[in-house]
Amino acid sequence: METSGKGQPPVSLEESALLEALRRGEEEAFARLVAAHHASLRRVARLYVPSPAIADEVVQDTWLGVIQGLWAFEGRSSLKTWIFRILVNRARTRAVRESSRASHTGPLAAESGAEPKPPGSPEHSPPDPDSSPERSVLSRELGERLRAVIDGLPANLRTVLWLRDVEGWSSEEVCSALAIQETNQRVLLHRARARARSALEPYLEDAREGTRRR
Amino acid sequence: MTPSADMTCEELMETVTAYLEGALPLSGRERFEAHHRGCAGCQAHVAQVRLVVSALGRLEPAASEDLSEEQAKVLEVFRTRGLHRREQRERDIPLGVGSERAALGDHIAYFWEYEREFDAIAGFLAAGASLGEACVLIGHDIANERLLASLERGGLNVGALVEERQLQVASVRSSADGLLLELDGRIKDAVHRGMPMVRILGSLNWGRGTPGWPSDREIMRLEAQVTTAAERLPSIVVCTYDVTTLPGPLLVRGGLECHPLTFRRDCLRHNEHHVPTARFLEELSTGSS
Repeated sequence: METSGKGQPPVSLEESALLEALRRGEEEAFARLVAAHHASLRRVARLYVPSPAIADEVVQDTWLGVIQGLWAFEGRSSLKTWIFRILVNRARTRAVRESSRASHTGPLAAESGAEPKPPGSPEHSPPDPDSSPERSVLSRELGERLRAVIDGLPANLRTVLWLRDVEGWSSEEVCSALAIQETNQRVLLHRARARARSALEPYLEDAREGTRRR
Repeated sequence: MTPSADMTCEELMETVTAYLEGALPLSGRERFEAHHRGCAGCQAHVAQVRLVVSALGRLEPAASEDLSEEQAKVLEVFRTRGLHRREQRERDIPLGVGSERAALGDHIAYFWEYEREFDAIAGFLAAGASLGEACVLIGHDIANERLLASLERGGLNVGALVEERQLQVASVRSSADGLLLELDGRIKDAVHRGMPMVRILGSLNWGRGTPGWPSDREIMRLEAQVTTAAERLPSIVVCTYDVTTLPGPLLVRGGLECHPLTFRRDCLRHNEHHVPTARFLEELSTGSS
């Protein structure tokens, strides 16, 4: 089913031990958690708010929420999913505040808070395994076009596309973090990919030749 | 492998994501693949979608940034503000009434005399709503409706807040234990949904005498225990006390002795008359207070 899904049960033994350590106030455990998610939180925050500085504030605010919520978190989802739920809520709230404050300039414009992607990123190999697209196809130009396309998407499409295809999340993780249904998630993903494909069509012409060999 | 009907190009394009997600039923998958095999245009289309997905997965960072400073700030917050610490917490959360600031774990008695004073406490909820926090009302329907109307007048879309479960109305139980469980459940639910800050506004006193309503004694047992329960939960609890109609003993014991903080005349104050939970409960059960 899910090609990139890790599909873990909500709370592993390891995770409940981590939670205990965090509640005891073990700084090292918390530092590991921060190191694991900070960059990705920042990228996702950037999907909602107009500047990197505001994204940083949203992320700081998210960690404060994590710290405060630790004792009431029951592990009904994974720690990661929970942290991103907090982030999405805070980022949305902040985005509303910002948009009422000033006219919104598109997120992800030129500058991007993107970090090197963590290992285990998307492969999305579909059931039949023919395609391994040429790396060369993603020229710098295509990458730039792609960012512009993402930037121009409505927020809900942008977020789903980003989490699934750039961050490499499973659909379960995305549904859980955004509190949306599986079918809805797929519709959003479909629309976002379709828009990206048609916007990039001229750049993809070459690719056709490359993937026809089946 | 006999497809029920041939898939059209249009249909294939519509189902390409479902196909790639492995979400098509077997028959749909077979029809998809049958069409795909025989249609060069659709082969190109699917190849392009795959390329886009693959390209997204390879987006390179514009420049890698140093996050160590940001991360150090986060660690400092953990050190100084983690709930494992027992020290006095920083009061930096806008209470929403007066211009006071509250801290996590606050349990506040809100004494009111005039109706406008009661209506003003809706500001506590409005502040939470604007910060994306969760709000829980617990009390008599009349009190709740009055507060919601006051929020609506203040420009909030109450219907949307309720729908998003950012604003919830808790059920009233007749026992202190039942009420505590109810509140605990509401807080944990909000936290689970990514809102690790919950404002609780109690106006249980309005319903006195209603069948199934907690007795004054149960309300006092609840009040005493909320103070300790709130310590490690990401919550601020405000309890309204109507000084014109409530009997003195309830005002003094439930209001004054169960809340470490009081709010009156636009001011939040530490309350020297607060009685520690264990002692209060013991005295209540032996009837010595």
